[in-house]
Parts: sequence; C-alpha cells; structure tokens
Amino acid sequence: MNRPRRTLPELLEAVIFVAVLALCAPAVPAQTKAANPSSTAVSSADPVLQAMLEELARSKSLKMDNVPPPYYIEYRISDVDEYDADAAFGALRGSRRTRARVLRAVVRVGGYKQDSYFGSGMGQAEIVPLDDDPLALRRQIWLATDNAYKAASEALTAKQALLKEYTPDQPVDDFAQAPILESIGPLAVLEVDPKHWEGMLEQASALFRTDPQVESLETSLRFRALNQYFVNSEGTVTRQGSLSYVMTISGATQAPDGMRLERSPYTMTASLKELPRPEQFQADTLKMLDTLKKLREAPVVEEEYRGPVIFAPDAASDVFASLVGANVVGRKPRPGESARTTGGFAASYKSRVLPDFLSVTDDATLVSFQGHTLAGAYQIDDEGVKASTVRVIQDGELVNYLLGREPIRDFPVSNGHGRAGPGAPPFPSTAVLVVQTKAPVAPEDLKKKMLEMCRNAGKPYGYIVETLGPRLSPRLLYRVWEKDGREELVRGGVFNELDTRALRNDLVAAGSDAEASNKEGALANTVICPSVLFDELEVKRIDTKNSKLPEYLPPPLAASH
Amino acid sequence: MSRATLRLSLPFLLALALAPGMTPRAEGTDSGTGDVLLQAMQRELHRAFTALSKSDPAPYFLSYSAFDQDMASVVGSSGGLLASVHFRRREADVTMRVGSVALDNTHDGSRSSGMQSTTLPLEDDKDAIARVLWQLTDREYKQAAPALLRVKTDTAVRSEEEDKSPDFSKETPQTHVDEATAHFPFDQHAWDGEVRRLSAGFNKYPEVYTSLVALQVARTRFYFVSSEGGSLVDPGRMVRLIIEAETRADDGMELLRVETFQAPAPDQLPREAELAAKIEKMAADLKALRAAPLAEPFAGPALLSGRAAAVFFHEVLGHRLEGHRQRDENEGQTFTKKVNQQVLPEFLTVVDDPTQRELAGVALAGAYAFDDEGVPASRVVAIQDGILKNFLTSRMPIKNFDRSNGHGRRQPGLMPTGRQGNLIVTSTRTVKDSDLRAKLIEEVKKQGKPYGLYFEDIQGGFTLTTRELPQSFQVLPVMVWRVYPDGRPDELVRGVDIVGTPLAALNRILLTGDTPQVFNGICGAESGNIPVAAVAPAMLFSEMEVQKRAHSRARPPILPPPGFENPPPASKKPAPEGKRP
Repeated sequence: MNRPRRTLPELLEAVIFVAVLALCAPAVPAQTKAANPSSTAVSSADPVLQAMLEELARSKSLKMDNVPPPYYIEYRISDVDEYDADAAFGALRGSRRTRARVLRAVVRVGGYKQDSYFGSGMGQAEIVPLDDDPLALRRQIWLATDNAYKAASEALTAKQALLKEYTPDQPVDDFAQAPILESIGPLAVLEVDPKHWEGMLEQASALFRTDPQVESLETSLRFRALNQYFVNSEGTVTRQGSLSYVMTISGATQAPDGMRLERSPYTMTASLKELPRPEQFQADTLKMLDTLKKLREAPVVEEEYRGPVIFAPDAASDVFASLVGANVVGRKPRPGESARTTGGFAASYKSRVLPDFLSVTDDATLVSFQGHTLAGAYQIDDEGVKASTVRVIQDGELVNYLLGREPIRDFPVSNGHGRAGPGAPPFPSTAVLVVQTKAPVAPEDLKKKMLEMCRNAGKPYGYIVETLGPRLSPRLLYRVWEKDGREELVRGGVFNELDTRALRNDLVAAGSDAEASNKEGALANTVICPSVLFDELEVKRIDTKNSKLPEYLPPPLAASH
Repeated sequence: MSRATLRLSLPFLLALALAPGMTPRAEGTDSGTGDVLLQAMQRELHRAFTALSKSDPAPYFLSYSAFDQDMASVVGSSGGLLASVHFRRREADVTMRVGSVALDNTHDGSRSSGMQSTTLPLEDDKDAIARVLWQLTDREYKQAAPALLRVKTDTAVRSEEEDKSPDFSKETPQTHVDEATAHFPFDQHAWDGEVRRLSAGFNKYPEVYTSLVALQVARTRFYFVSSEGGSLVDPGRMVRLIIEAETRADDGMELLRVETFQAPAPDQLPREAELAAKIEKMAADLKALRAAPLAEPFAGPALLSGRAAAVFFHEVLGHRLEGHRQRDENEGQTFTKKVNQQVLPEFLTVVDDPTQRELAGVALAGAYAFDDEGVPASRVVAIQDGILKNFLTSRMPIKNFDRSNGHGRRQPGLMPTGRQGNLIVTSTRTVKDSDLRAKLIEEVKKQGKPYGLYFEDIQGGFTLTTRELPQSFQVLPVMVWRVYPDGRPDELVRGVDIVGTPLAALNRILLTGDTPQVFNGICGAESGNIPVAAVAPAMLFSEMEVQKRAHSRARPPILPPPGFENPPPASKKPAPEGKRP
C-alpha cells in the first residue's frame, strides 16, 4: 500500500496557496467519550469557540448595497499539532513539531435553493493565532468573514450568469437543511517523547547493513492531534479532538535486470498503544527487507495471463477504496450536467454494481474492529452533522450515496459524510467502509476454489496478491501452482482492466477473513473487507525499458554496528 | 525584488518559515569541531567521480553542496502567535556536468538537468551520508546523461546562437575551511513574547486591517566540494525581523507599509521600545495614506530618498547587470552591447561588493566570502563614472566575459545564476542631504511646475518576492509627497505609479545627497530567494513620470474590527415633547 505523505508544513503551504484542494486530515475520535450535558457552558468557557461565536453573532449584520445579507455563516478552525520525523540508513534526517490553527470561513448569500457556494464563494482559509487570545483570534475571523462575504456576492452573480445558459430538468437545492447540533468533546493532546521515536527510526533504518543490495531504507513517522472547532449561524456548535499515528518503512532495491522493486508498508492507528514496540518495528523492517531480497530473486511474471486471482484483505481493501469508496460519494456535478453525481457509479443508482452476495455500508461511528482502532471513524462530520450508518450497496445493488450538505438529485439531506482537510472545503467522503458477504468462504477454501478453476481451465497456476502499491499495482504477488498449491513470489506483474466492470462481473467469491485497513489517503479512512476471488483478470508484465542498474557501486561501509 | 507584487503576505512568510530557507553567509564566531560531513562529502565525491569517469558519457565536473541549517521562525499578528517553529535540516545538492566545457547537459533551457537535491542525515554518520550522496549522484547521472543527448540534438537542428560562449568557465579551485560555528544564543520563548507584544501594537489602530510581525533566525554552515579540488566550509548567520501592516482606502486601494531589520544576532536587532515606536509610525503612515489624495498624472522633478534610490537601482539597473541575462535570447538584453558606453550620468559609479560586510555600522545582507559555486566573492565595478564596464557573473561565461566574478548565487535546490550581493551606488556630484529639498524646489521653479515629488519609500520588488520568474522589474512607490515651491507644507499622495522607461529616468539624475543609505532585503529570481543589500545616496531627478496606479475596487471591511464594535455615541437629540413652545 502506498500513502501520499503530507506533513503539516506542506499542508500549511497548500492551504495557503491552493485553498481549494482537499487536504489530509486524519479524523479519528479521541479515546475519551464526549461529555455533553452542559455544552453551552463549555463552549462559553472555550476561548476558541467563544471567539468564533462572538464574531458569528456580529457577522450576521453584514450587508452591502445591492447584495443580500448572508443567510448562512460557518467557521471551522482546525488546530493541528504534528510531530514528524524520518531516518535513512540509520541516521535521523529530520524531526520536528509543528502546530498551526487554520480557519475556514464560509458565508452564503441567497438561500438553500440557490446560493453563492461556487468558485471563490466556497469560503476563505486563513491562519489564525495559536494563542487563546480572543481579540487576536477574532481579528482573523473578522477579516476572513469580510472576504468571504464579498467573494460570496461575486460568486452568486457569476453562478447565476452561468446557470442562465442551462435549463435544469430537475433542479436540486444548493444546500441541505441540517439539524442543530451541540456537542463539545474533549480536546486531543499529542504526547510524544521524540528521543524514543527517533531512536526507533534510526535503529530500524540501520538494518540496511544486513543486505548490501538494498539501495534505500527509510523509516518515518507522523503523529497528529487534530482539534476541530465548528460553529454555524443555524446554531450548531461542536468541538472534537482526534489523534492519528502513522509509521512507515520504505525500502527499494533493483533486480539483476534493473527492475525497480519497492516496498512501503505502514502502520496507522488512532491509539499510541497500538503502535509497534521497538523490537516489533525492527522485526517488521527485517521482514520487509526479506521480501525485497526475495523479490530480487523472484522470476518475472509471464507475458500473458488471464485467469483467476485472489486478493488478500489488505490488497482487496485498496481495490474497494478506489473502485467502490470513490464512487459511492454523492458529488453534485457541475452546473448544466444532468447526471445525478460524478464518478463511476453516476448512472448506477438501483443497478447492480457488485455481485449479489456482497453488501457495503459506511459506518463512521465504528471505532474499533478486532481490537484495532479505526482511523476513519468520527462522531460528527466536518459540517457539524452527526455521522450516520449508511448502507450504500445492498445485495450488490447501489441503493444510496454518502452525502455532505450538498444535495444531489433525490438525496436532499446530509448523512454525515461531509469531510474536509484543515482549511479546505468539505466533500462527501467515506469514513469506515465495510464490505460484507452473505457467503463467507474460509481462506483455504477460497484458494482451493481458485485452483479448481485453474484445473478446469487447464491453467498451470493462479495468482494471489497480498498487498498493492500505487495505482493498484501489486507489491507482493504470488503464483499458486495448481498441481501442489505451492506459492511462488513473482515480480513485474500489473493488472489490466481491474475496474468497476471487473468488480461487478468477475468477482465470484469472498472470504471469511475480514480485516480492517486504515488508510491515510486524502482524508483518513478505513476499509473493512475480506479477501476476494476474481474468476478472470488479466496480469501483464510491466514495462521496464527505462530501468537501469546503478551506474556505480554503493559506498563501502566504514563503521560496523 | 524582481517580482512586481511585493507583498509580504502571511502565506509567504509562513512558506518562508516552513519551506526551504535562504542561506545567509557571513562570518561566524566560536570554534567548531572536526568536520565529519566535509570528509564524508570529499570521500564520496572522489569515489563517484572516479567510478563515473568510466561511463559514457562521463561527467567532467561534479560538486556536492550541503546547507546545514538551524532555523527558527516566530510569526505573530494582533497579539497572537500564528507560528513558532524551530528545526534543523541539511539540504544537499549534487551538481553534475557531462559532455564538455564547450557544450554540456546544462546548456540553455536544459540548465536544471545539472542538479538533484535531497536532505542529508543530521548526524555525523559517515555511512549514512555516503549512501544518500551515492543515491543522489546516481539519480543525477541518469538525468544528466540523457539531457546531454537532447542538448546535442537541439543544438544541431537549431540556428546558431549569437553568444557562442562555452557552458562552464574555468576557475581556480578554492580551499577554505572555516572551523567556526555560526552560533549565538536564541531564546525562542522570550521572542515568542516579544513578537506577541509587538504585534499587539497595531491593535489600537482600527484602520490597520492586517498586520504581521515575523522573526526569522538562521544559523548555517555551507559545505562545498568539487571534482576540481575545491573544498569549502563557510559558516553564516542571519536574523531578520519583518513588520508588515496593511490598510485599504475607501476606494479599495491597498496600502502597505513594510519595515525589515537585519542583524547578525538577535540581540543586535533594535530594542523592543524602538520597534514599538516604528510600529506606531507605520500605523500613523497608513492612517495618513488612507486620507491622502490620489496622485495625478505628472512629469517633473523628483527627489528619491537613499533607501528609495537603492531599491530603484537594484530593480531597474541591478537585475539588468546579471550575467546570464546577457546570454539568454529571451531576455531584453538592455546592456549586452553597451559595454564601454555611457549608461549613467558620469558622476555615478555602481559596484557590487559582497566582500563589504558593513557600511556605517549597518551589516550588509548581501555579504559572503564564496559564492554558491565555490568562487571567491569579489568587488565588481559594473559602472565606472557612468560607463558600463562589467556584469555580475557566475560560472556561466558570456561573450567577452569568460570568468566568474563570484556572483553565482542561489537558494538550495536551484542552479546558480549571476546575482547581486551588495549593490553600492556612489556619486561625485553631491550636496549635503539637508540641501536636497531646496535643490528640488529650485528645480521645480526652474521648470515652472506646480510641485515636485519626494519619494520617501519605495516598496519595489525589494522586500519579498515569490519564487516565480520575474516578468518585469517593477518599483512600487509607497510614501510619496508633493513638495510645493510656495512654502505650503508637503502633501502626502497615494497610488503613485512610475511610468515611462525607468532606465531613461536614471539618466535624468541631476545630483545626489552625501549619505549612503542601506536597504537590506531578500531578492527572488530564477535561482531563488537570496539575501541582498542595496546602498545609495538620495537622488534628485530632473524628471520622473508618474500616473495613477490601477487598484482593486474591493471595499474596506464592512464591520468595524473586533474591539471597535461600538461607534462613538452620536450627539443626543433632546426627547420631543408637545409642539407648543
């Protein structure tokens, strides 16, 4: 699995320069439960919420000539406290703690049916003070609100001009009504001892010494406490804290023919306790190095293969995340487009998108599975809406979409899936995507089933893929011989036409071995799924014509560890 | 400088604070320890160059640079801290040239193929450092070798270039290891407090909409080794305090004041009380600017303060003296063919002298001992008595100037080009500064103009820029006064834009003041952000053409700022009673 790495500094720059991009914000509920009874009392005691509420009250009186006053205002402040460190070849390369508070202010003019939420009218991002100084906080909020209101007025005009060019057949509201919510959760606190973690990263990355052919070995971590404050003019006031911890081991080597072989396994949790201990991290690194060594020695896949393939849960989770997760979110298409939503399932409502033995639910409120904390879980989404469990695919048929407060045709309200990175606008996103099967097959029986298919088709072997890298390309792929069930690691394989059509037509069985995979992605999310068997999938050989071995030998090692 | 929109915005500041930084170079203090990093770089460079000499094509030049940086940044606004960070980082660049001095992979548009960058381990672990350098060198070779092929193909099919200079100059390799460490005490917590307090200074001015106080502290060591035998360690340190405040006139015009302070150590910055007074002045300036009348189109006598003249020269003249611009056929090449010709009045001389560390007690930001190609800095007389003599060159030769004069500069990760260091303008036709105003009025009367202009401050491209390529070198006057010949008080105007050819204006300089003024800043161009200084005396121009500046129509904030919610009570009308008197 791969994970796009964005550090807080990078994120800040991104927030600043491209406030439109959806950035990463692992949103994991803090371990302690929210205490709710006197939330109004708490919000008045919280200086951040207090500053937000005071400016919110004041901003309701915004008014310019010939521009309607705002009908809706919201503020979201994301307080991100991040510790990140990395080591290479046994030595620390960086270690830093960064904290920033990012505000997003949205002002809407018009009404729920049609408003200014468009282009620059989608809100303004601003860095706000870290100090709980009411006046300093309010000044930044005041300026962001003023800019947001002016931008909204221009956006409304631009949007109306654009809409004149089209005649919508079934107009959909621009903004959904949502119940008022008051919920003040405890603040998340990041407590780390840098020395401990730096030592762990260095020791593990020093293991490059065990294999002279390893070209790179890096270890890194990113720990983050995110405290999110949200208020809107409808009366919603929420505060929630979450923690996320990610540790990654990345290594690369080259096969004798120059083929580049990479691994980057990671651990992501919402609890410090679940992170590996130093001995375990060493062992994981050694294991990964061992797979690199085996890959180097492994045969290259044969030129052409079309036949059965098993995806282990880890690999299957990436397939479901990119082919199902990305397509079950209800995103309003651009003005003038008549589709219900965007993406691969735009025209699939009430149609079969998976085999009928599979159903899919997104349950943001599920905080753990088999003893593991789930990184995608939350109680309240980034638009101040309570998360709800949504069955999106029932017996293979698409029955619902994940929604924020931007309605799509026939789906007028949010189901608590509006999510956003710090300072970025919200979009509907998955949280904890759960793939369930009506007919679970034991993993060993799934393998037997595949070999039987091979036998019937006269194929000498099938494939099992254990884990995937970027663009669903296999990192660990095994050839499973029909005659004796032996698993043989191979390299250089890539899937052809692994798409929604294959998911619908070629997925024939699912295992009883469901497990949870936390993903850092653009926004932290989790996929819980079993292994799955495709009866026919194409595996071809990757193009390696540009791969060259190092031009000269690596430096000899001076010190011994 | 160079980029027109010279706004010191919070985004930019934070980016500066958090992204790859500038690398100041000045002398250090204290003594350091033996250098593992230098030795590791030397050993690995030698090994790589020997091994790659057997490849085809083989590199003819290889260098490693490392920037060991200890950086801190504190940014505050309205009494609250927006960021306070501290970190260490070692950025490393591998530069490789394959082919030959006459034609190599970095030719023309392929310049970036000469470099690869990464970060090195922070610890003195020889094995880890060597491994990272090996990876990077191998990656660079795989980029440089195919680039040379493309360069050769392109050169073969295109028409001949006007400047047929080779791609790399021959220089004597330098060995200079300054064991000193650029250390000074820095109490970040105390500075958090000072930045907070200073930034709160703007709170009592409702018309100052946005403001920032930012402190940047850098302690660095620059390491350089090359296959020619060069070997350098050069410590540096820099402290900058930047204060920005902005307002908007009722017609939407944005009005900005920026003050920067630079020192070799935090305790050499102005004291808090002095900075607080500067903040009061900035707020007062903005208040006056908001109320000031708009500039009218005008052509007539103008007086530039030394600071304004320094910015003007850096932008208008200095950038056009940069060596690579004489070779790039996409450039205007204003001066390329004017060597030994008169380009300025004969009483003016312009040098760029990075070896000058200070002037009248003010540290110069553009000082360094060796440039980023390991060439010793040198004092370059660019214009002698008004006659163009030389350009500011890196190791990219240009026609008739085949050697570097130690002006190859850049920020980590970018290929060096000829850049300014300390641009110093001197004059032989001077009057006492105290007589300048009278001279301006005299000129106004002579020309029969209603008034003259006094440019007290120019924001120019000077203070801060983005990393984008400069499209034009623009100057942005901020504090401009009308000076009347009839004894009326000077009148501040806003929205002045200099038009016409700024270069032509340089030839209308009549005389100068007698006191050089220093402007320290960060200059951004193709090779990134670097610290520079510009020095000039005040100057009287017989004519400067100005027009009204185009500006945004955005209105000032609709609501009063927090803390100013309640407008002063209106005079109370007596409650009405019956109509009978």
